[in-house]
Amino acid sequence: MVTKNSADVVIVGTGVVGVVIAEQLLDAGHSVLMVEAGPRVSRAEVVENWRNAPLGVKGDTSVAYPPRPWAPHPTGAEKGDDAYLQFTGPDAYDQTFIRYAGGSTWHWAGTSWRLTPEDMRINSLYGVGRDWAFDYDTLEPYYVRTEHKLGICGPSDRTKQWPQTGDRSAPYPMPDLPFSPGEVRFTEVVKTLGYNNIPVSQARNSGMPYDGRPACCANNNCVPVCPVAAKYDAETALHRLEKKGATILVDAVVYKVETNAQNKIEAVSYYDQHKESHRITGKLFVLACNGLENPKLLLMSKDDRNPNGVANSSDQVGRNMMDHPARSFTVTTKDPYWSGIGPVVNSGIMETSQGAFRSEHAGAYFRYNNFARNRFVTFAALKKGLVGKALDEEIRRMTACTADIVAAHEILADPNNRLTLSDKKDWLGLPKPSIHYDVGDYVRKCWEVYSQPIGKKIAEAMGATDVKISPKFNNSKHIMGGTIMGKDAGNSVVDVDCRAHDHENLFIPGGGAMAAGACGNSTITMVALAIKAGDAMVEQMRGA
Amino acid sequence: MTKQSNDPNGKLMMSRRGMLLSGATLLAGSLAASLCPSLSLAAADAGAQSRFMQLSNLLINHQLNPDVGNRIAEAATGQYKNFAGMLDAIIAIAEKKNAAQVEDFFADIPEGELKDFANWVIFAWYSGCSSDKRDAKVFTYEEALTFKTTSDVVTIPSYGISGPNLWTRPNVPLSVPVPRF
Ligand SMILES: Cc1cc2nc3c(=O)[nH]c(=O)nc-3n(C[C@H](O)[C@H](O)[C@H](O)COP(=O)(O)OP(=O)(O)OC[C@H]3O[C@@H](n4cnc5c(N)ncnc54)[C@H](O)[C@@H]3O)c2cc1C
Ligand code: SF4
Repeated sequence: MVTKNSADVVIVGTGVVGVVIAEQLLDAGHSVLMVEAGPRVSRAEVVENWRNAPLGVKGDTSVAYPPRPWAPHPTGAEKGDDAYLQFTGPDAYDQTFIRYAGGSTWHWAGTSWRLTPEDMRINSLYGVGRDWAFDYDTLEPYYVRTEHKLGICGPSDRTKQWPQTGDRSAPYPMPDLPFSPGEVRFTEVVKTLGYNNIPVSQARNSGMPYDGRPACCANNNCVPVCPVAAKYDAETALHRLEKKGATILVDAVVYKVETNAQNKIEAVSYYDQHKESHRITGKLFVLACNGLENPKLLLMSKDDRNPNGVANSSDQVGRNMMDHPARSFTVTTKDPYWSGIGPVVNSGIMETSQGAFRSEHAGAYFRYNNFARNRFVTFAALKKGLVGKALDEEIRRMTACTADIVAAHEILADPNNRLTLSDKKDWLGLPKPSIHYDVGDYVRKCWEVYSQPIGKKIAEAMGATDVKISPKFNNSKHIMGGTIMGKDAGNSVVDVDCRAHDHENLFIPGGGAMAAGACGNSTITMVALAIKAGDAMVEQMRGA
Repeated sequence: MTKQSNDPNGKLMMSRRGMLLSGATLLAGSLAASLCPSLSLAAADAGAQSRFMQLSNLLINHQLNPDVGNRIAEAATGQYKNFAGMLDAIIAIAEKKNAAQVEDFFADIPEGELKDFANWVIFAWYSGCSSDKRDAKVFTYEEALTFKTTSDVVTIPSYGISGPNLWTRPNVPLSVPVPRF
């Protein structure tokens, strides 16, 4: 039975990781209570927020999601001490995520690259980073289930699928989406350099409705919100979960995970928006707050039995924070590419992420961003002081003849890249996260000797008359590593099922568990891990 | 190539967009109100509004939506102390040249306050905003003229112009003229 303060399974967070596990447990007949820090809003409200935002901030992916005071998330508006995320170290771990019911897939692009078998064995093969605790063949069936659960479309032509190594045990549920004219031209151009720009497998309905959601019809607004929910986001699952019997509490910020004398999890406590505390008990507990909020919550929950924080006897909670450090090339071309027709990301060069060079430096994945360019070029065109026909033609030319190419890099798990609790407090009085981050020599060397030269070659082949390279590594918003998986409880936080080594009834699935993240967007892997954890929980409940 | 002549899916866009907006307007009433000049306390008076449209039509050689113009005029009233005087001064320069389009008189507007204001008016219509900053006032999104310059090719984000998997098309060369709007 589920009440507002007890259930078989208590899930903290209603992002994609939380909702796929919730559905598995509900389908297996267990009661599920979900506790969500943020508000529940309608899609129409988010779309209107975005349309009403000034053109100059439309690039801020959180602008359509004003945070509630009790559930802060990073926004472009706040800097320094006022910002939610506090940084130390040479690079800023400047992530964005959304603390609303449905979580950060509200504004993800839906790009869904699987890892390769090699990505999961980088230490054995290349002597760097950490190997995964299991191999690709173990993960593969969970990838298939993820592709079918989220509705991930992709090519049926094996030569265009990723990865090229490792088997696929089932086809994608939908065909790949067609390329825009810019993507067609880009694909032809990079082919002359020997690179294959292949269709992205993406969580977007291709040519047909799927999962009760309509087909993608090229609104080109996947980030920050798909107005018609043709792109999967976890909000689209919430009603279904409720129909299956889930209770979802919103505006409920979990601030403590409580252990009992057996060092099992006994309860979680949350503050409502009036700062009143409530306690929830259950049999199994899932932390699905994302790779950054999960370690924060574990560290905040330290007690006498767990003086370094819950699940932290290894001292690895909050360490090994990873992302895909990215540099962009903004190119101006002679001939038009016309980004902005179709979805915002629709293709990529993945083969540059693989190779024996990985013993020396990172690999990189290159993508052509297919965002409509008007918002990127309008102010620059207006600053030229043109009027009339000349102004119209300049905006049109700049929209057609500029493009962003992004190189996303593989970073290694490094325990010094570490999340700790800041002495700065949020509205509820809870500590803000502080992250020490350095992308490291492995990434920097790649940029110097590999990805930057490739990017420049691509720009040249595109006929670039001007190339602007971003001066520093940007974040890709793929939060990984902070509750790392391993077989050895001495140097990892969770086991192969994302169960905390220290607490048999606590599961911490998602990006935090990833031991290596390669270059490709990693939510598909987070969800595959969640489904694997869900199976283990169903199994564990049998014995409960 | 213009949308009218070559985009059979234009109708689809209108109907979907209408649908979304009607759903959204109810829920986002307060936001919509902030964009609606009739609810504003500091609205520019009717005379200034029509003078502002007259000036805008001189500075921009396109059809302009008076509702958007009223919002820009209202913001300008608060932003520029000498709003009415500048309207008159620029219109007088254009009339003196018998101007039919902006190219005929823009160079005659003196540098300084008047030129800055003229540039701001153009900026407001093309970007739909009072500035490029985070705190900018928004006059319109989908009617910002920047999108009209590319409306035959590029989606205004969140207003799709094609149907499911129907966006394969040849790459439009730069020689194709800007659509008429
Ligand atoms: C702009 C952008 C684009 C992206 N594009 C891609 C992409 O193309 N492909 C890709 O693979 N990934 C992409 N990502 C990353 C992707 O969004 C995340 O990896 C994914 O959403 C993580 O899912 P999650 O369920 O772990 O966490 P989230 O989606 O962040 O959900 C966590 C949930 O937990 C809740 N929560 C947090 N703290 C608490 C608390 N203390 N108490 C209660 N609830 C809490 C939150 O409110 C939220 O609902 C993108 C991210 C961004 C920002
Ligand atoms: S292109 Fe449009 S319809 Fe398709 S997923 Fe993106 S926003 Fe949704």
